[in-house]
Amino acid sequence: MTAGNKVGFGVSAASMTATWIWASSMYASATSGYTYGISGPIHYGLWGALMILFIYPFGRRIRKVAPKAHTLAEVMRARHGKSSQLMLAGSNVVGSVISLTSNFIAGGALVALLSPFSFQQGIVAVAAGVLLYTLWSGFRASVLTDFAQVVAMLGAVVVIIPVVFFAAGGPSMFEAGAANLTAEQSNFFSSEAFLNQGAPYIAAVLAYAIGNQTIAQRLFAVREDLIKKTFVTATVGYGATVIGIGMLGVMALYLGVNPVDNDVNNLIPQMATTYLTPILLGVFFIMILGSLSSTADSDLSALSSIMMADVYGQNIAKRGKAKPKTMLLIGRLSMVVATGAGLYFASGQLNILDLLVFVGALWGALVFPVLASFYWNKVTNKAFTVSVLAALAAFIPVRFAWFSMDGATGYIFDAVSVVGIGVVLGLMAFGFFGLKPALFIGAAGAVAAAPFVMGFLHDYEVLTGSLVAYAVSTVVCYLMSVRSTTEFDFDTIQQRIGDFDTRTPAETIAAAKS
Amino acid sequence: MATFWLTVYVLVWPVIVAGVLLQIVRAFFRDWIQSRKEGRSII
Repeated sequence: MTAGNKVGFGVSAASMTATWIWASSMYASATSGYTYGISGPIHYGLWGALMILFIYPFGRRIRKVAPKAHTLAEVMRARHGKSSQLMLAGSNVVGSVISLTSNFIAGGALVALLSPFSFQQGIVAVAAGVLLYTLWSGFRASVLTDFAQVVAMLGAVVVIIPVVFFAAGGPSMFEAGAANLTAEQSNFFSSEAFLNQGAPYIAAVLAYAIGNQTIAQRLFAVREDLIKKTFVTATVGYGATVIGIGMLGVMALYLGVNPVDNDVNNLIPQMATTYLTPILLGVFFIMILGSLSSTADSDLSALSSIMMADVYGQNIAKRGKAKPKTMLLIGRLSMVVATGAGLYFASGQLNILDLLVFVGALWGALVFPVLASFYWNKVTNKAFTVSVLAALAAFIPVRFAWFSMDGATGYIFDAVSVVGIGVVLGLMAFGFFGLKPALFIGAAGAVAAAPFVMGFLHDYEVLTGSLVAYAVSTVVCYLMSVRSTTEFDFDTIQQRIGDFDTRTPAETIAAAKS
Repeated sequence: MATFWLTVYVLVWPVIVAGVLLQIVRAFFRDWIQSRKEGRSII
């Protein structure tokens, strides 16, 4: 599940980069460039890249507390108990299925535009291919294919962006097409782009890394002394690749391209078919296929490790009696079921960018309770569970605008969002600088933001929903924990989490042959 | 934004990606050679 926690830098950096670069993130970045103009790709790719960097200090702490862990949910069980574990595992599963769905949609859109096959046939072919090779060897296959995929993806980006740029007219397109952009779209410091795209993503910076088991799985797999180097490389690699691909959306905007069927998911394939030669179109196809399969296989692998470790290993099998063979079977069955679910949802052709922003905000409810559980010995299982449920109960109606935000209600949620801003900034600072600077930065950030957001932030329901999730989970978790007499000993986590399969590699191979 | 800076803005990303790719490929082959020397799997 985590390859013995000893993977080297080359493999882990390739794997982390490939996993984080989703085909859907390429599509979403281009959509962001097309919708919000020149700053759009930055507001997608830069914050996405920082997600990796910001989780690094927390990652080190998590590895220190639970060096033998396989999933974050498993650590939550050791720290709190069953309900916390299942809540985190459940959110990981939801995230993995949404991720699978968005990658299948990206594959289907590509196949539909570049071949005589339909979107539906495309998603089935992509899903079947990924499922088969992940079933073949699970995490090992996922990591090894990640290297081939990262070479294909990054290599393609190096070639394709300049080629499209010059084929589309080079620098002159910026003069000829300037009239196609609104004032906000041509402004590098566009507030529209920031509030609609950038800010919700900043809020999701930590949420993705906590909620997405694929990153946690690689965090537990890489050799401990290589974590920093791996995270920095993946941050730069992801950022440059995704922002670079987002430039296709910016170019499409300058060129006055209209997406086929008004579906922005078609933008990237459209730009490719218009401006690339047949050979480069093949390279482009490999790039998208590589990025979607590397993430989809990681999702399957991560999802199966949750089902194996969190559901079977700790909740179905009796303590210390988990059978490696049964575990493997459960892992494989969950891959098949998840692929089926991803296919079912993908057939609805949802907007990829909307899906990603939704899941990021949803995970916001978990960030403070999870992180606090690794540092603060007073956080209890009850505080964890109640705070996450309360945050979800507040997030969903706000995100989907189930009630009017007119009058005082809007101001109340703006005030809650201000607390959310403080929490997000504070958590980011805490990872790198510790508690006191974090409290100062969080408080100063909230006070500085208040005059600018009170009275209007509630108009941006994605951002408000996300900030409300952070604020509610933090306040509830804090209030329920601060007076607690519990003093958890973090050393017990190490004793409670170990390998499920204690055989040596030679014994494992011999058992598999027999 | 001036045309020159927009051009730089679009083309700088592939250059950075090329640098990262080079680093990952070199490190991967170093890991591979090392694991072969030690007679173990790279993972």
